[in-house]
Amino acid sequence: MSKHKDNEDRDLERWLARASRPSASPSFAVALDAAYGAGPGEAAWARARRRVHDRLKASEPRVYYDRVEATPVGPLWVAMTDLGLAAVSYGGTESAFAGWIGRHLQASPVRSAERTTVARRELREYLAGRRTSFTLPVDLTHVTSFQRRVLEAAQAVPRGQVATYGEIGRRIGRPGAARAVGQALGSNPVPIVVPCHRVLASDGSLRGYSGRGGLQTKRRLLTLEGALLV
Amino acid sequence: MAPAEQVGLWVDRHGQEIHAYLWRFLGDAQDAEDALQETFLRALRYRGRPVAEPRAWLYAVAGNVARSQLRRRQRDEARFSQLDDETPAPETTGGRDLWESVRRVVEALPVKQRQALLLRRYQGLSYGEIARAVGGSAESARANVYQAVRRLRAAFPEEVR
Repeated sequence: MSKHKDNEDRDLERWLARASRPSASPSFAVALDAAYGAGPGEAAWARARRRVHDRLKASEPRVYYDRVEATPVGPLWVAMTDLGLAAVSYGGTESAFAGWIGRHLQASPVRSAERTTVARRELREYLAGRRTSFTLPVDLTHVTSFQRRVLEAAQAVPRGQVATYGEIGRRIGRPGAARAVGQALGSNPVPIVVPCHRVLASDGSLRGYSGRGGLQTKRRLLTLEGALLV
Repeated sequence: MAPAEQVGLWVDRHGQEIHAYLWRFLGDAQDAEDALQETFLRALRYRGRPVAEPRAWLYAVAGNVARSQLRRRQRDEARFSQLDDETPAPETTGGRDLWESVRRVVEALPVKQRQALLLRRYQGLSYGEIARAVGGSAESARANVYQAVRRLRAAFPEEVR
């Protein structure tokens, strides 16, 4: 009896592992295979697959981006989320900027002149000296909380004025964090609009700027704002 | 890579077997398609979190989606059962009859047994993989398969020769 049971178990395992010949299958196995063996079929899968891809596309958050041509500091890329302006980038290729959006904003990049109209217009006007402030909301939900506090403190520095890294550190309750403040400003995803260029070293030197053109761009922005004499 | 792109790759890589699993588990093409969409939308909502074994994880998500769909279906069927009594049964062909009778037997199995059996025989998962997909140990996965088979043997007895 136990010998029989062992054989039965072995046959069952072979059937379960799809290794048995049909002639060896008991009735329940034949019935089950007839009902479930073939599966839904290629046509049903093709349709299901298409619908899943459509649903994924429709439910993915989107970020709209476009290029701002020929500003005094060169071409820029801008990216808008539902919450506001999430990125301004100095030059680079379109695919590099779109890739950055996917990685950092966790969204599908969609190029759109319409959705970026206000951002592009305000940046052009600002850089041409025809505008003194931005009406655009800024989306800083994608940076760390420390960086957000630093960037918000930088936003509070008025046009035409400057602050030091140490002052920003003190304003956010982190005196002595000047170096970390410098790093947080150096990776500001929304330069120009979040005016990290208004933050200088404690001796008044410009210290650094990570945008294209480096210190020359920083000097140009501060001159434009009247914080520096030409 | 954007999350939808990542999940899109999972659809292309694992979607067909997950779809087949849902089709077998739910026994209904439309339900399977709905559950497949829900499975990958849930995967999208988990974006940013690393998934070590996407295949096993997708089986687990699909199993959860399918079980909640079954519960919903049972509620609906209870609600509409009176209506059903008044509608005549549809005519069935021989193939359809077999499919219906097998399906009835399989759907009467406890859910864990049904899942374990389908995953082992038709989805080609090992007992260890079944354990990761439905919870529990490899041993309990094996026990579930064997219990399912015992009930099925009783439902489809061998003809006396």
